[in-house]
Amino acid sequence: MRDRVPGGVTGIFYHPSFSRRSYLTSGRRLAAFPGALNSLLQSSNIALFQCAPVSDELILLAHDSHLIPEVEADPF
Amino acid sequence: MGGVVEAMGRVAAGELRNAFCFIGAGGHHAGRNFFGGYCCFNDVVIATRQARRDGRLRRVAILDTDAHHADGTRDLVAEDSEILHVCICNTDYTSGDGTKVDVDARSRCGLGGSTDQLYLDLVRGAFPARAMLFRPDVVVWYFGFDTHRGDYGDLGLTSKAFLGLASLSHDTAREVCNGRLLVVLGGGSLADLASRLIPPIIARLAEQPPSGKPLDP
Repeated sequence: MRDRVPGGVTGIFYHPSFSRRSYLTSGRRLAAFPGALNSLLQSSNIALFQCAPVSDELILLAHDSHLIPEVEADPF
Repeated sequence: MGGVVEAMGRVAAGELRNAFCFIGAGGHHAGRNFFGGYCCFNDVVIATRQARRDGRLRRVAILDTDAHHADGTRDLVAEDSEILHVCICNTDYTSGDGTKVDVDARSRCGLGGSTDQLYLDLVRGAFPARAMLFRPDVVVWYFGFDTHRGDYGDLGLTSKAFLGLASLSHDTAREVCNGRLLVVLGGGSLADLASRLIPPIIARLAEQPPSGKPLDP
């Protein structure tokens, strides 16, 4: 995965964990990825980035602090 | 969520022309003090606020075509006049300043004719002209494919509608903010749909011919 790229490029932001367990799907809706992107990733104007985790400080830009432990305790 | 934050920063800074963001959990049903609908934290709003904090943008135009109303996003941006939020859902509403708009697609689709065309016409009537007047720094398309035929928010749409939405978002961003566009994945549960829809949408962002599986078998 690329780090620094010039402008004019389309970025794809992805993490392997999304293909194991993701939104509403029992883990399978993105099972074909990133393989399904292989032909696109041959292009010089498309770059794949791996999503990084964010800090609690960033989450607090939008949410009350009590939401963080509530989300962590959510069974989904 | 980290991907959306990074993508917003890079697109706003001109390091990327546009971006497609996969997600592990949804965002648009997460408000200031609530979450649900398989959403945890509001990725788009957090990314916007972080990019503002970095001095990279002020104004963002969000088009939400997930099947369900973006209650969390609306909760967070309701008083923010520098966010245009157009939500294609199941109610009709326009705020006094015109920056918060809901369009009822559910009661209008299925009334006869091509559902794809009806839906695209609704979006075309609701978003591009408002975005043009609003002059955002970045356009965000919150892309759920749950409205596709057979998925849990079925509006009878086919793949044609989603590629039309991709073109509409891409072309609007080119018109209003030099092409700065984030596509953020929302709802939709079917793996086959994901693998048929997402690659051609990314190809559209990159202005390349679509390839891969046939769109609708």
